[in-house]
Amino acid sequence: MEQHNRFWRIALLAAPLAVFGVFVIWPLVSSFYYSVTDWNGFDPDYQFVGLSNFAKIASDRLFLQAAVNTSLWMAAAIVLPTSLGLLLALLLDSRVLGARVFKSIFYLPICLSAVIVGQIWTWIYQPDWGLLNTVITQVSGEKFKYAWLAKPDTALWSVIVAWSWQQTGLAMVIYLAGLTSIPGDLLEVAEIEGATQWQRFREVVLPLLAPSTVVVVALSVVNSLKGFDILYIMTGGGPFNSSETLAMHMYNESFKKYLMGYGAAISVVLFGVAMAIIGLYFRQLRKVDRIYG
Amino acid sequence: MAQLALSNLRKSFDAHEVIKGISLDIADGEFVVFVGPSGCGKSTTLRMIAGLEAATSGGIALAGQDVTGLRPSDRGIAMVFQSYALFPHMTVAQNIGFGLKLKRTDRATMAAAVAKVAETLQLMPLLSRYPRELSGGQRQRVAIGRAIIRDPKVFLFDEPLSNLDAALRVQMRLEIARLHQKLRATMVYVTHDQVEAMTLADRIVVFNAGQIEQVGTPMDLYDRPANRFVAGFIGAPAMNFLLLHRAADHVEVLGLGQVHLPPDKASAVEIGIRPEHLAVTEPAPGALQAEIELVERLGAETYAYVRIENRPVSLTLRLPGETILRPGAKVGLQLDWTKAHWFEASGRRI
Amino acid sequence: MANRFSPWPATIFTILSVLAVLFLLPTVGVLLSSVKTTREISMGDLWSMPATLYLGNFAEVLANPSVHTYFANTLLVTLPATAISITLGAMAGYVFAKLPFRGSNTLFLIIVAGMFFPPQVILVPLFRLFNGLGLIDTLYPVIIVHSALGIPICALMMRNFFATVPNALREAAIMEGANEWQVLIQIVLPLSLPALAVLATLQFTWIWNDFLWPLIFTQSDDKRTIMIGIVNLKGQYSVAWGVQGALSLVASLPTLLVFLFFQRFFIKGMTMGAVKG
Repeated sequence: MEQHNRFWRIALLAAPLAVFGVFVIWPLVSSFYYSVTDWNGFDPDYQFVGLSNFAKIASDRLFLQAAVNTSLWMAAAIVLPTSLGLLLALLLDSRVLGARVFKSIFYLPICLSAVIVGQIWTWIYQPDWGLLNTVITQVSGEKFKYAWLAKPDTALWSVIVAWSWQQTGLAMVIYLAGLTSIPGDLLEVAEIEGATQWQRFREVVLPLLAPSTVVVVALSVVNSLKGFDILYIMTGGGPFNSSETLAMHMYNESFKKYLMGYGAAISVVLFGVAMAIIGLYFRQLRKVDRIYG
Repeated sequence: MAQLALSNLRKSFDAHEVIKGISLDIADGEFVVFVGPSGCGKSTTLRMIAGLEAATSGGIALAGQDVTGLRPSDRGIAMVFQSYALFPHMTVAQNIGFGLKLKRTDRATMAAAVAKVAETLQLMPLLSRYPRELSGGQRQRVAIGRAIIRDPKVFLFDEPLSNLDAALRVQMRLEIARLHQKLRATMVYVTHDQVEAMTLADRIVVFNAGQIEQVGTPMDLYDRPANRFVAGFIGAPAMNFLLLHRAADHVEVLGLGQVHLPPDKASAVEIGIRPEHLAVTEPAPGALQAEIELVERLGAETYAYVRIENRPVSLTLRLPGETILRPGAKVGLQLDWTKAHWFEASGRRI
Repeated sequence: MANRFSPWPATIFTILSVLAVLFLLPTVGVLLSSVKTTREISMGDLWSMPATLYLGNFAEVLANPSVHTYFANTLLVTLPATAISITLGAMAGYVFAKLPFRGSNTLFLIIVAGMFFPPQVILVPLFRLFNGLGLIDTLYPVIIVHSALGIPICALMMRNFFATVPNALREAAIMEGANEWQVLIQIVLPLSLPALAVLATLQFTWIWNDFLWPLIFTQSDDKRTIMIGIVNLKGQYSVAWGVQGALSLVASLPTLLVFLFFQRFFIKGMTMGAVKG
């Protein structure tokens, strides 16, 4: 039996591991390699430059800007779609009329491409006839023509809002599943003990949603790190690199400036951040699982 | 004045009526068990008493006060759930003190109250543990503790022993009985296990299809069942039932020969006789002949399953433990007719 | 009977309706723009209900041969990549669920971690690899990379699902003489149709909507996928907002349809894989 098992382990794992290894693991390792070279993307001649790429990062003003932006995005990711998603899930869990329709509406943005989402929101932010300015004009009485995406102060946040619009549905769905997994008995005990709605939420529901919260926050943060497509479409990192994130910065350095080695170095940093987050996520998940699992 | 009074309680889910008029008075300090097969309405009734289900019509009064429209937390009840419903993210102490915390009781008072309850249930060493670290029996005690601390007028138990293995069940059954003796509180206990009902109850309420079949002390129900359903439900092994066959001038029990029908049992169609009221004798001509089909030896008792010769009639006998019988053996059967129960067509016992 | 949240249905309904309208506005905006003439829109008239439905935008989009090419390319990429990633993921998931070995858990975690890092990290080496193979400006790299990057989520979900299939089934089949492949194909897979449906919807949507890899690996116009196409056509339709709106809708149609018909699979997928972590 054991021989049979051994054979089939290899037989079944061979293809997936090969594909994954060649096209994911090896490029990952290569990235680490390129980060210490000065390769420009097409020249077969390039040299080992040690850690100079990384040193360059430390003094790269654009990198710092991108890092700040990425952190802002991650922070927004932790707060915005999470709390909105939780609110929606709580509202929808009350068996209100048309819950299914509402759920679809909030969840719909997930199936749209980042390009489309970027497109849609670019129109909302359009200075002359975009929805946002139209509404503000109506409300304030005077013609409002602020160019949300073209001003450094608001460009990044405009993109983050658009991104949250899409991400909220995901958070909502995960929280809804978490809510249904709370045993009905516990809520009945709370009722018998005379808990008010708020007490019931704070003492019973919210703590028992901890596993879902961990997942939602982790997914949001990871997705924010990956957020490239929507940024590319809406601002391209502009104006004047003010809305650039690390992913975008990496892309620009590699494919616009042909500094592939440097770009690889940035991606190594990006990878490190991502892995740190994953590590935190798994650790938190295990802790939470032990309590509620 | 009854501690708990149910008046003509009815409950319907949409058009389907599941509780069809329950009226019951429970005295202060009484231990009442709701028992019955699955779906009979015992749990629904319990939940209506708790306030977790609203009655469609009828009234519930607790210590003289009408609580039918009140929220569960205002009724003065406490409930122990089948799953215990302990909060996994709270310690034993926090679980027990949950109600007090909701009322914003100060920490000192809360700690004292929790300690007192923990003492009663021997939970003191476990106060800072989490439910996942406790055994089934310990969890149940915590659930009971959470109920006790409310100082309720009535304790409600919803099948609390169903999740335990057999040995633990016996142990916890005794603990609940001791608890009742100590607290002298009114308790309503739901179970499908008639052994629990018989051993714990001051009075048993037998439910069937949304109605009460009979209310009485355990021995009442055992010796004087009101109808066929109660007779067959209470007692293990179950009562033997035999149909009566009316011939022109006599009445006979199929397979057992003629019987003398006492005058006040003229409308009887069925006879019931408990396994312990049957005995085996040496096979004798003229007496009842039976063949042993199966024998179950439990040590203190022996159950014998016999077939009447040439008839499709099977009987269960309860015999002393030392009885030596082999399957296939032919024996004579003796019935104690004085202990037989007679049932008429409606199922009522006469 | 206790509800989980609130006993005020009317209030909740109102709040939800308001939020729903807010959430729908962006999508409605696209819808409106697609049935109006560009002139109407540039006059500031996007957000009013149209008197007549102008279908010229759709006509223009659907008649545009580039759009046809983009669509075909996207299909050529999405369908194979979905199938391959699910197949490979199922094979791997099966081993992790039914044939674990020392270190298999670590290996599994490594694969799952592949879901979490930004794809930009492997951008450069992959470009170099496919450049060296002469595959740049074909669709093959896109298919391959999507297949590879889809393995983590597929393996995760299939492994979680396979774990719920009783081992006894596999053992009974093996005693009857089946080999592992037969067990997988004839016994376990038929039981896994819900999970497969989930993965199919997720992968289809994700790959169809993707922008990055086609951007990197394709260059000439006749190889681009629809999402790149939208960006490209922005040049051609620069102020033809109506047409752009119609194009966005048409491009989203497949995923919208998949979403509408397989909604519950979508939702199940998000929660199954995600909550199990």
